[in-house]
Amino acid sequence: MGSEARKRSREKLRQQREKEKRAAQRKKTLLVVGIAAAVVVLIVGVGYAVLTADRGDEYEGELAGQTLQEDGSVVMAQEGASAPVVEVYADYQCPACRQFELLNGDLLKERAAEGEAIVHYRPVSIFAQQPVPTSSNSLRAGAAARAAADHGVFVEYNDLLFEHQPNSEAEGYTTDELKEWFRQTDAEDAQVSEFDERVDAENEVVTEFTEEFLPALAADANEQIGEETLGTMVLSDLLNWGAQNGYDPSFLEGTYTGELIDATGTAYTRYSGDNMFRGTPSVYINGELLDGNTAGTTRGLSEAIASAGEGEVETEPMGDGGDAD
Amino acid sequence: MMDTQVDDATATRPSNRWETIQPWLSLACRLGLATVLIIAAVTKFPPIVSVEAVEAYDLFPTEVARLIGYTLPLFEIALALLLLLGLATRYAGAVGAILMVVFIAGILSAMARGLAIDCGCFGGGGQVDPEETTYGISIARDVAFGAMGAFVAIWPRSPFALDRVLGLFR
Repeated sequence: MGSEARKRSREKLRQQREKEKRAAQRKKTLLVVGIAAAVVVLIVGVGYAVLTADRGDEYEGELAGQTLQEDGSVVMAQEGASAPVVEVYADYQCPACRQFELLNGDLLKERAAEGEAIVHYRPVSIFAQQPVPTSSNSLRAGAAARAAADHGVFVEYNDLLFEHQPNSEAEGYTTDELKEWFRQTDAEDAQVSEFDERVDAENEVVTEFTEEFLPALAADANEQIGEETLGTMVLSDLLNWGAQNGYDPSFLEGTYTGELIDATGTAYTRYSGDNMFRGTPSVYINGELLDGNTAGTTRGLSEAIASAGEGEVETEPMGDGGDAD
Repeated sequence: MMDTQVDDATATRPSNRWETIQPWLSLACRLGLATVLIIAAVTKFPPIVSVEAVEAYDLFPTEVARLIGYTLPLFEIALALLLLLGLATRYAGAVGAILMVVFIAGILSAMARGLAIDCGCFGGGGQVDPEETTYGISIARDVAFGAMGAFVAIWPRSPFALDRVLGLFR
């Protein structure tokens, strides 16, 4: 009897100890998990603060003057500014270009407004040879940006395009959208109708180019000169070959679509060696190509501009002056 | 006498062997997964690259994609550090495995929607030619990494772990 009772109380005690031990273990686990969670929060929090520390506020101030150039590019600078020339090559359908614009677009506007940089926007269409709708989106948007430059609002329109960049596999930058965004730049009625007409006309050129002219030309070239050689040719080379082989590119003449294709071809031959233009986005300061870490961080680009000397814009302003100011 | 001894030894050998090997396997998984996570995080720099990779999945609004692009590599580094230190090993392994499941879900959703993108797992990311997608490889890779995480979560006991000092998974 007595021994039975002792046995029971011993058992109870043992269970009690087990329970306490488990509770202590649980507490320990919670503590360790807590420490681990704190480490994660600390690393992510501090890291995020460091990575975003150099992000300036959105630039809301007045833009420096915009001057349309002969080749359809646009220079944004204070009048008579002596500063490094920052050339920005971008394709409106290129996602990395959108990221560059979202990250560093405001920095460029600010530096130009301060007179500390001459920003040279050089829209190109590296996707013009891709299948529709990638190619047509890219060309339509580039032509519309050029039309906006006629009305002195290239920079504002450039922002709107990148802000609304479509997925490259979906039809986007539709003529309706392009027209709507131009209205958001506070354009006047006369400008609006001129712009709309231009966008419609360019759209027809883009459609003919991407859906009829280029596929036929590319297929023919593929047969006659082989896929391998074709792969090494940029679009302007292919167009030159086509012009000599029965593919008359004259429908591109005088169009902004044609101008964009020319500008893209010229970009490939403008630089040499390490500075060679290879794709978008490409950012040059005084003709020197910036690497991805420099152009792709606000701190990097800001420091590169600050440490560069004065540069010279290589293009000439559009002769007739237009109303590009 | 002799016979029973031999019997005992053969009976206990398999479990003994597992008990000897398992901690080292767990350590290997910890280090392996940590290395993968660090490489994944470093190649995603600068954040402009990872934001683009996230946007290519076409799943999040701009601001959310931006936040993920900035914080995901940092989270990968933090998780790698926990695995290297052996701190909260079981839970770090489990989170790593869950992370891989989330990545696989993202890749599957891109596949299902017919997107042609690079997974952006190790830098890169964004649109690619439809013939150049490598979804199968990406998923297989993530399955392997997820298995490492799961192994650590199931058998967290391993040498060179801060957990041992703190009295966990001895």
